[in-house]
Amino acid sequence: MVNGTFSQLVTLGSSGMLLTALIVLWRKGVPAYITAYKWQAWLLAAITATVGYYGRDPQLYWVAAGLLALKGVAIPALLRTMQRRFGAQREATPYVNTEVSLVIASVLVLFAYVLARPWMTVTHLPTRQGLPLAMGLLFVSLFIVVSRKKAITQVIGFLMLENAIALLAVVGTYGVPLLVEFGVFLDALMGFLVMQIFVYHIHETFDSIDVEELTRLRH
Amino acid sequence: MSRYLAIALQTLVAVALAPALVGFIRWLKARLQGRRGAPPWQPYFEIRKLFGKEAVVSHTASWIFNVTPFVVFGTSVLVASLVPLIIAPSGPFLVGDLFATVYLLLLGTFFLALAGLDTGSPFGGMGASREMTVVALTEPTVALSIVALALNAGSTSFSQIVARTLAEPRAALGPGHVLAFAALFIVTLAETGRLPVDNPSTHLELTMIHEAMILEYSGPYLALIEWGAALKLLVFLSLAANLFVPWGIASSLSPVALTIGFVSLIAKLGVLAVVIAVLETRVAKLRLFRVPELLSASFVLAALAVMSTVLAR
Repeated sequence: MVNGTFSQLVTLGSSGMLLTALIVLWRKGVPAYITAYKWQAWLLAAITATVGYYGRDPQLYWVAAGLLALKGVAIPALLRTMQRRFGAQREATPYVNTEVSLVIASVLVLFAYVLARPWMTVTHLPTRQGLPLAMGLLFVSLFIVVSRKKAITQVIGFLMLENAIALLAVVGTYGVPLLVEFGVFLDALMGFLVMQIFVYHIHETFDSIDVEELTRLRH
Repeated sequence: MSRYLAIALQTLVAVALAPALVGFIRWLKARLQGRRGAPPWQPYFEIRKLFGKEAVVSHTASWIFNVTPFVVFGTSVLVASLVPLIIAPSGPFLVGDLFATVYLLLLGTFFLALAGLDTGSPFGGMGASREMTVVALTEPTVALSIVALALNAGSTSFSQIVARTLAEPRAALGPGHVLAFAALFIVTLAETGRLPVDNPSTHLELTMIHEAMILEYSGPYLALIEWGAALKLLVFLSLAANLFVPWGIASSLSPVALTIGFVSLIAKLGVLAVVIAVLETRVAKLRLFRVPELLSASFVLAALAVMSTVLAR
């Protein structure tokens, strides 16, 4: 019974995280993407805390608090300043239009379910239903990175990819040790800061953060 | 015998309550927008007024135009007698299941589109073509979310689905359930002509869908169509409420259980009406070309619901 509630909560949270990635595919404004990312980070923190509670691993509470502070508050604030500076309100027409990208996303999730099948048959973790959802989130955020044109959207896609890997670690192995988790946090933060500098330079050079402009570098 | 009586009674209650639901949403929207608004029972006065008037029928109209109001109202009443509103009938149900309900409602929509084309007015044709576009896009979503629900319960009959959710309350938190609910809610907004898809409070605007089809109707015919549309909204909302959150629904015919069922139905409809009013105050109508994006999003939600039910066993 307890395990049932636990697995339902984790599955629900993972589906919520997947939905926030779908919101990025559906909406057109960059502020909406940032809000979606914030929700996703909060859900990830909630899932981590849930796993910590039911798995009796108090270390995970610290991880959840760190997630909330860094990904739930700090990175969305940084993204907002970035977006304000570039005035990047709307995503330009993506390479794939909205309807098709949504359908592709559902195919990717189906693919993730098929891939996760053998894995799910061998584990007996109560959180195993979250595995295909985490892998689906991984594919969908990769798809966001390759199908959108604005650099800031690609950064958000990358951050969601990082969230997907964190989710995979939490539901697949009940979280990794605190030390490793903090190492990954710092990596993600560093990566984000480096990307911010890149985006800033792209904006300086081309007066736009549309990555299609980068093809002009050949000449 | 008493079961038939109870079903007839709850159908009557639904038919009587439907205008009040629409009036309540309108009143709440007005309050949220800082207007005083007409009282929630205003639609009753409108229906009475319309029944007292003469119907003007264009001389180019065929029999379809005269039949449609009765088909729309009749299918709505029939569907109201099939869905679980106050009581969840135990044992084998009379006839209907999810498929019958959805497609009976579509029959009314189909006739409405025909009637819009029938008089040959440009507005009617435009409305009919738009309505058919929207319906064609909502159709896969409806079918898929039904499949998701039916797979969970092992049957498409309402009583089975309700009984299953009552027996296993944890299933109501599962992703299949929640995603199917979200998909069905978006479809409800699209099918009943609510805001992100169609604006229910304007006449004579170039973007209208439902209003454009019924522009030629007047008098008692218009009253029947408006009443039928209100009843359709009530049926969709109580379906969404009772299939996904069935608690409080009466499972026996005792007066106490029936009272609890009635009160919980009113409470659930009230909550959903508040949600719709707040949503319609916050969002603007989507451009017609962006409607397919919303509907494909709801399709993806329903597809995910099916996947998480079938593949994550």
